[in-house]
Amino acid sequence: MSDARIDSYARALLEIANAEGVLSEVEDELFRVARTYESNDQLRGTLTDETIPVERRQAIVEKLLGGRSTNVTAQLVSFIIGAGRARDLPAIADKLVQAASTQQGSEVAEVRSAVALSADQQQRVASALAAKTGRKINLKFVVDPSVMGGLVATVGDTVIDGSVRTRLDQLKSRL
Amino acid sequence: MKNLISLIAAEDPTQTHHWLLPETAEIIYGGLATVIVVTLLVKFAGPMVKKSMAARTAKIQAEIDNARESKTVADAEASKIRAALGDISAERSRILADADKQAEALLVEGRSRLEAEVRDMEAKAEADISAAAARSGDELRAEIARLSAQAAERAVASALDDRAQQDLIESFISSVGAAR
Repeated sequence: MSDARIDSYARALLEIANAEGVLSEVEDELFRVARTYESNDQLRGTLTDETIPVERRQAIVEKLLGGRSTNVTAQLVSFIIGAGRARDLPAIADKLVQAASTQQGSEVAEVRSAVALSADQQQRVASALAAKTGRKINLKFVVDPSVMGGLVATVGDTVIDGSVRTRLDQLKSRL
Repeated sequence: MKNLISLIAAEDPTQTHHWLLPETAEIIYGGLATVIVVTLLVKFAGPMVKKSMAARTAKIQAEIDNARESKTVADAEASKIRAALGDISAERSRILADADKQAEALLVEGRSRLEAEVRDMEAKAEADISAAAARSGDELRAEIARLSAQAAERAVASALDDRAQQDLIESFISSVGAAR
């Protein structure tokens, strides 16, 4: 899908979330749905399988998100699936998160870790990144086993890599 | 003569006077006949014999001349053959000399080419050996690096317990917070 169409979808979802007053929750939940979609081959294959009726795929999404996210998020994801844009779900979600952060005057920071961070750790990571960049940070945490250990923080074009995976890769390169 | 006649008359005509000698009359008649025969032979047969002998002499002379001529021709032919044999021998020697020369040249050229080929083969073999050694070294280093990396990854993964994970997270937070 073209960037313009993705922008349009993202703006539309942003407006809906704003109208419903759940922008913070929706953009966070959509971000996590997008990451799950990217990392789960089975889910991605199912949601993009044209041989499965749209209603069936929407039902699967609603069942997966039911009770785990706001109703608005579930409906928006279902809408994207129904529109035949399942493949663009990550791009639309990222655009929405970016737009929401811009609206809130903050910078999106994606932090990947091998294990889930505690609330306290998330808060301290946010503070540290905010202090480092000098900007308000909209943190998005992703649990990614490929990181192995440590964290990888991406703020705009800046990548702060403290992961074991990168160190091992550097070791491999030196070897 | 009187004596001869009286001798003949005194003789017995049925008896010879000597067992070896003929009777006198026989001698006379015989002698006369002999003279006549000899005279006739000399007169009539002599020229024929002479003519025959001359013809035979001429024939023999002609044969001798022919033989001499044949001998001369044969000698000439023999000379030619000897000359031809000499030419053949010289040609043979020349051909053999040329063949020897060509064989020598071929031998030298072949030896030279063989030496060049051997040098090329040796150089190529050395290059191949060097390349193979370098390739083996590279492959060995790559394999060692790969195995080392795998071992390091396994060692790190086994060492990454929950405490290590928390330490890494805290270390990250500290380093980012410190690097303002």
